[in-house]
Formats: sequence, C-alpha cells, structure tokens
Amino acid sequence: MSARHRWIAALMTMVAATLSAQAADSGVKVPPYERVVLDNGAVLLLMERHDVPLIAVRAAVRGGAAIDPDDQAGMSSVLANLLEKGAGKRDATEFASTLASVGGVLSATAQTESIVVSGSFLSRDHALMTELLADVLQRPQLTQAQFDSVRDRQIEYLRAAKDSELGTLSGLYGRAALFAGHPYGKPAVGSEKGLAAVTHAALVQHYRQQFGADRLIVSVVGDFKTSAMKQSLSRAFSGWHKAGAPLAAIPVQPRASGRRVLLVDAPDSVQSYFWAGNVGVARSFAERAPLDVVNTLFGGRFTSMLNSELRIRTGLTYGASSRFDRPSQPGSWALSSFTQTATTLEAIDLAFAVLDRLHSQPLDAALLASGKAYVQGQFPLAYETADQWAAALADLEFYTLDRSYIDGYAAALGAVSDADAQKMIRERFPASDDVTLVVIGQAAAIRDGLRKYGPVTEMKLSDPVFGL
Amino acid sequence: MMRLSLIVPLLLSLLAPVHAQVAGTDRIESVTLANGMTLLVWPDPDIPNVALYNWVRVGSRNEVPGITGLAHFFEHMMFNGTRTRAPGEFDRVLEAAGASNNASTSNDVTIYKDWFPRSALELVFDLEADRLRNLAFDPKVIESERGVVYSERRLSVDDSSFGRLMEQVQATAFVAHPYTNPTIGWPSDIEGWTVDDLKTFFATHYAPNNCTMILVGDVEPKQVFALARKYFEGIPRQEPPPPIRTKEPEQSGERRVVIDAEAQTPLLQFAYHGVAGTDARVPALELLLRILTDGDASRLRRSLVEDQKIAISADSYLDAGFDPGLVWLFLTLPSQGDLAQAEKAFDREIERIVANGVTAAELNRARNQVIADFWRELATIDGKADLLGSFAVMKGGHQKLADAPRAYEQVTAEDIRKLATDLLRPTNRTVGVLRPAAEEKETP
Repeated sequence: MSARHRWIAALMTMVAATLSAQAADSGVKVPPYERVVLDNGAVLLLMERHDVPLIAVRAAVRGGAAIDPDDQAGMSSVLANLLEKGAGKRDATEFASTLASVGGVLSATAQTESIVVSGSFLSRDHALMTELLADVLQRPQLTQAQFDSVRDRQIEYLRAAKDSELGTLSGLYGRAALFAGHPYGKPAVGSEKGLAAVTHAALVQHYRQQFGADRLIVSVVGDFKTSAMKQSLSRAFSGWHKAGAPLAAIPVQPRASGRRVLLVDAPDSVQSYFWAGNVGVARSFAERAPLDVVNTLFGGRFTSMLNSELRIRTGLTYGASSRFDRPSQPGSWALSSFTQTATTLEAIDLAFAVLDRLHSQPLDAALLASGKAYVQGQFPLAYETADQWAAALADLEFYTLDRSYIDGYAAALGAVSDADAQKMIRERFPASDDVTLVVIGQAAAIRDGLRKYGPVTEMKLSDPVFGL
Repeated sequence: MMRLSLIVPLLLSLLAPVHAQVAGTDRIESVTLANGMTLLVWPDPDIPNVALYNWVRVGSRNEVPGITGLAHFFEHMMFNGTRTRAPGEFDRVLEAAGASNNASTSNDVTIYKDWFPRSALELVFDLEADRLRNLAFDPKVIESERGVVYSERRLSVDDSSFGRLMEQVQATAFVAHPYTNPTIGWPSDIEGWTVDDLKTFFATHYAPNNCTMILVGDVEPKQVFALARKYFEGIPRQEPPPPIRTKEPEQSGERRVVIDAEAQTPLLQFAYHGVAGTDARVPALELLLRILTDGDASRLRRSLVEDQKIAISADSYLDAGFDPGLVWLFLTLPSQGDLAQAEKAFDREIERIVANGVTAAELNRARNQVIADFWRELATIDGKADLLGSFAVMKGGHQKLADAPRAYEQVTAEDIRKLATDLLRPTNRTVGVLRPAAEEKETP
C-alpha cells in the first residue's frame, strides 16, 4: 500500500511521545492514579481503566544508550533484546511460547536514556504479566549463546537498513554529528562497529551495574484493582537490589555555531536524504506551548512552511518536516527531507531559505491561530488507549513532571501570543548558518556542490559507524 | 475505545472456544443514499474526536499499461484543488479546524482518511463532498505532484532493496491479471500521465456509488446521515466502472526473478497465489501465517532465525483483495548469508506443515494472538474505522466484523494443513532473489 504522506504517522507518534499539545478544551485530563515508591526506590504508577479487560504495562529502567561505553555503542540495545531471550525459569523458546499462548505482548527496546519494556495482556493474565515482567527485569538469563546471536543479528539489521531504509538513517548520522562525544550522539540502535565490540562479559557486568530497583519505573494502566495490583507488583519488585553503580549525569551540550557538513556516500542511491539541525530544548522546557505551535507551523504538519515549499509548491520531495527531540537535557531540533540526486542543492537551498523566512518574516495571526487549533484538535488521539496512558505516566515520572504538564497545557497554549512565538523563533530555532548538515547521497555527484554550505567531512554508507 | 461489553467475548474466547461475537457492533448504523453512496457510522464517544475513512473502490487493479500508478497519483490529486477551492485549501482549512488527514492506495482500493474534533464534522463533509463533485486539474499542480510521486517511488522502491524486489516479484507472479501493476506506477508511466488520463479516471471511478464512507467516534448516526444527505446526495450516480474480467490463469510451474544489486544484504521473497478477501479460507490463512512468522515461537522464526541463524528475519503479508492476491513470505539473510541454503531450509519448513500439519498448541497460540491483536486494533477509533471499512468493502460485508473472533475459532488444524497443501506449492509460487553484487562476484 502506498500512502500520500506517511510522515504524518511519524508526527502523530512524536506528539504522543512528547505530550506536546493542548488538552483542556479537548477533554483530556490525567485520570486519577496512584504512585507508590518501594523501599528500594522502585516507583509504581497505577491507573485503573475498566472499559476493557486489558492491562497495559510499561517499565522504564534509567540508563539506556546514553550510558553505553563509548566504544560499544549498542550495548543497551543488545541488552534490551536479550531480556526477552530467556528469563526466570523459561528459556527463550518457552518464554516466547508462554507469551504467545495468552495473546500477550511484551517487548524491550533501548532508548537514549532508558531501556523500556512495554506490554499488553488480558486482565485475567495479570499474574503472568507480573511474573514475566519481573523475570525479564530481575532474572534475565543473558546466556552467551543468545548474546552471540542477538548481537550478530543486530549488526545485520543495520546493514539491511542501509540497503532498504535510507530515509530512516539521516537522523542517526545527524545526531551522531551534532552530539559527537556526547551521550546523545550514541545511536540507540548501536553501530556495526560498536556492536561488534560488545562482549558477553561486558554486557553482564553492565547489567549488574546499571539495572536495579532504584532505576525502575513501572506504569500499569487498565482493568485491575489498584490494591491487588499494588500488592502483586510490590511483592515482585521489593526484593530487587539497587543498581551497582551510580547513574552518570548527562551534561548539557552547548549549541553549535557555524555550519558544517557531513556527506555520507551512498554511491547507488538515486535520492539524497538530508538532515540539518542544532541543539534544541530539554523535556522540562517551560515554554513548550509556543515552541510546539511554531514547530507545527514550520515543519510539523502537512501545510507546514517546509512541506509547502519543498513538496506542495515545487514537487521536489515526497515529504519535508522538522521536529524537536526533548530528552532530559537539551536534545536536537532538526529539519529533514529528501530529493532526487540532481535537485539536492536546490532542495537544501530552499529548506534553508524557508528557515531564513521563519526568522525574517512575522507569523501571520491567522496562521498562528491555525497552528494552535491543529495541535489542540489532534491531541485527544494521543490519549485514547491504556498503552498511551501507561507511556504518558511513565514519562511524567521519568522527567519529574507533574500532571499539570498535561492538564495545564491547554491554558498555556491558549495564551500563546505572537510575541511568544517570535521569542521562540529567535531563541530556539537556529539560523540556517548555524546548523550541522548531513546528506546521504551520491558523493561523486554532490560533493563539490555541498562545499558552499561549509567544510565537508565525508564517510561511506558502508562504514560501520554513524559518526566520525 | 471499546466498551466493556465489546471485550468480554474476547475473554471468553480465550478461556474456551465459545461462539464469541464482537458486541457493540449493534450500535453500527448504515444508510445508502439515493445516489448509491453507502455510509456506516459506529458511535464511540470516549474521546471527542472522529475518524472518517472514505473507501473508493479503485486501485492499481483498475489500471492498464500506460497509466500504471494512476490510482495512486489520483489519490494525491484529490488534495489539489476543486472548482471552488484553490489547490492547498483543502489541507489549510482542515488543519485550521484541528483536523489532519491522509490517504492510501492499494491494488484494490483508495482510502481517504480524516481525523478531526467533532466540532469539525460539517466542515469535513463540505470539503469531502466538494472534492468528489468539483475536482479540478491545474496543469501546473499536476507537474509538481508528478515530482512528489516520483520521489515517493525513489524512496520506497528505487532506493530500497526490499521494495525493488517486491515490485519485480509481483510483476512476475501475475501474467494476465492487473495485480501485476505496481501501485506506485512504472517510472515511464509516472512521467507520462496526462490531464486527460486523470479526467477519464475521475469520471470512471469517483462516483458516489463507488464509495463507502465510515465514521467512528463521537458522532450521532442521525446527524451524520442528515449531513450526508445535505452534502453528498446531490452528487449524481454514475455508470459503474467496467468489471475486471481477466482472471489469472493457473500457474503451472515455479517462477523466479533475480535482482543483482549493489547491496550488503541478500533477500528472499516467496509469493504464492492465494485467495480473495471474501474467501471463507481467509481466517485459516491468517492463522497459518501467524504459525509461520509471528513471534519467536513461530516456525520460520524459530527454525531459520533463532536455531539455524541462516536468516535475520522472517515475515509474512497477506494480500487478499477483490480478486485472489498473493501470500507473501519474506526472508532477510545476514550479509554473508547463503541464499540456496536459506531457500532449502524454508522449503523444508513448508513441507513439514504440508506433511504433518500444525499442532493443537500452535493453532491455539495463533488464534489467541490474532484475536488479541484484533481487539487491540479495535481499541482506537482509527482502528475501528479501518477494520469496519475493510470488512464492509473487502471481506463481504460489515456484519462479518461481529463474527470475526468466531471465524478464527472455527478453523481446525486440518483446515490449515489443507490450505498449506493447496496454496504453498512450488508450482504456485514466484521466488524473488536479491543477490548482493559482492556475493555474485565471489561465486564462481
């Protein structure tokens, strides 16, 4: 099936992940939930929703790819995948069969600042859910044989992505370049070189030091009785030890000045995939309402300034967009798009011109109102299911936000003025002269042209790393 | 979001194979307007939003050489202006009202989707009716949109080993039926469409009697039907498009297509001729594919990926449209993987199912997985609109949605073995091989 603009789905996911929209007029308020802190530091969040006999669970263990050893990018990703490959008394096969036999879902992924295990079970299987979750987190088998195959397979996934999913890679190269040497520069999926350097012994040691109750948030939403679920989860997690090592702090990466270019040579590609960004804001950024409105108008919806120019008016691309990543410290803001090799420079020039226009021309009042209405209208769709609420509660806890982050957002959005928007543009959107530009494409055809944007560093798509 | 009454049958179905039904479907109301347009409304007020899916019965199946990709291109043009609204206004007006939209095209259908706050209901009807009645074709916009679609093709096909191979396999699997057409279109056709092609296509396929519109969310059927009469009923009915007469002749031997690519990762794709969406065997086929590729406990994953490590992924996709489509199985190999060895291992697994069938435990597992996922899809208004539309348009009627869990429960292990025997024959398949150039050079 071929779609008109697939990136819309990605944007909607982003809105959900960043809780970034208006709430009150849309009827979205955080329903009551209970927060429990166990003696060992584990935090339990419990929200009853009895409309369906399903339970959604989300467990986050602080750490993630940001604390991967510098030369072993991907260790957390291997660890996350290994958690499901045998835990407690079940080997990998038994674990998978048990899960499938009740129609349950439980999967772990490494993110930049955490390893997240998310699942969905029928409420009648709540005891099994707790057992499997506790096993996965506290008693993963981490066998050498499973380690070898998981690690090798992840290396191969990256190679396969380079053959079939170029459009998804520019952000990996972009963040690696913008955050070189910083924890946020480490790709959550790892790199071929980093993964190859991960050893079983190092991974087991990493698990011992970096997993523990004081790093854990468990959020459950669905059809259960809070008292019983609290008891069951408390019993399952109160005996867990704390992590063996302190969690490394993440420093603030200053914004980059000037423009530099990373060219990733993909000699057989027929399009160029580009990404241009700088350091943005943290999750706790107080003025996110005007920031969201401006980003929506610039590159966060179909009629955004960026998509209007690069797609609708000129037909240069299938899609152009921009987004903020908002982890605990300032993450990235970036615009990205793609175009056939021959129009690479034209498209990049145009993207920069649109960014310049954002800075030089005031936003029209009607457009500002449209941006607010759009964010508001789409917001309830991000809080429809138990899974979405489980993720939202875990995020509030993870980033030390209170429920006003959601409940109070409508008022903040309603109050966004033109001056607020202009302030965001001035302070939070880089000038086109101050971006890290990454282009994946045919180097022979575009190398010389790219030099006009700044000093060009070059690597090959087949290189086993995402940054130099 | 589902009500309690909807999900209770699921619970029962997993405890024991009872005749579960999807409750809540009794709230679905439908109307057929005087011009033949059908509307289905499923009220669900959990969030103050609405999902609208307008299913138009036209896809790449309705194309001929020279205009491949036109159904999909047309999908793009439906956003590009009418006689009363300038290009771009559709999106601008919708977004300013808090709505988003998208659309998709397949072999069989084109689906237009809007997600909006309930306050925008009448505006959405106004806009949807306007483009169905008054679509305009601005030559400048056509040229610009041609570039957009070409970029989409480069992204999903030309720059993707997986997409390139799938296109070739589909084109090879069908020698007569228009399912041979790639939905995105062949490059020369993307370059060649004319405004007259578009006008003819619109006149032929974009009639109200060729549309089924689904609304799920915070709406009242009565209000929706009143708005439908106001905005859609006046659009004249048209002659139905000519039926697709061609039937794909029985395949009598394995076909094979090979791509030599500058790539690292070898790929194998197996496409078997299958069944249409209305075929009673679809639930059994879905279960068979779950048994083969869903999760680490499935046959192909367990054997080829986990145990033998000759593949890094094993996946499947069932294309069951108006006519018999393809049953797809995909293997991704490690970069130095042995294609011949992987194909042999794959064949052994298929032969095992044909010879010995599946176990009761496997069937039970697959059934629970498919039913649980079915309910998870019904957890959102978007998922409901998608499922309701697919049953109404592709699977023989929306009433069948209510019986979907029961249909899975009734499948027996013998049904699955028989289906595997009937369909998963080498003589009924096309094998696609993507061979990395490096490997080709090393092979004597």
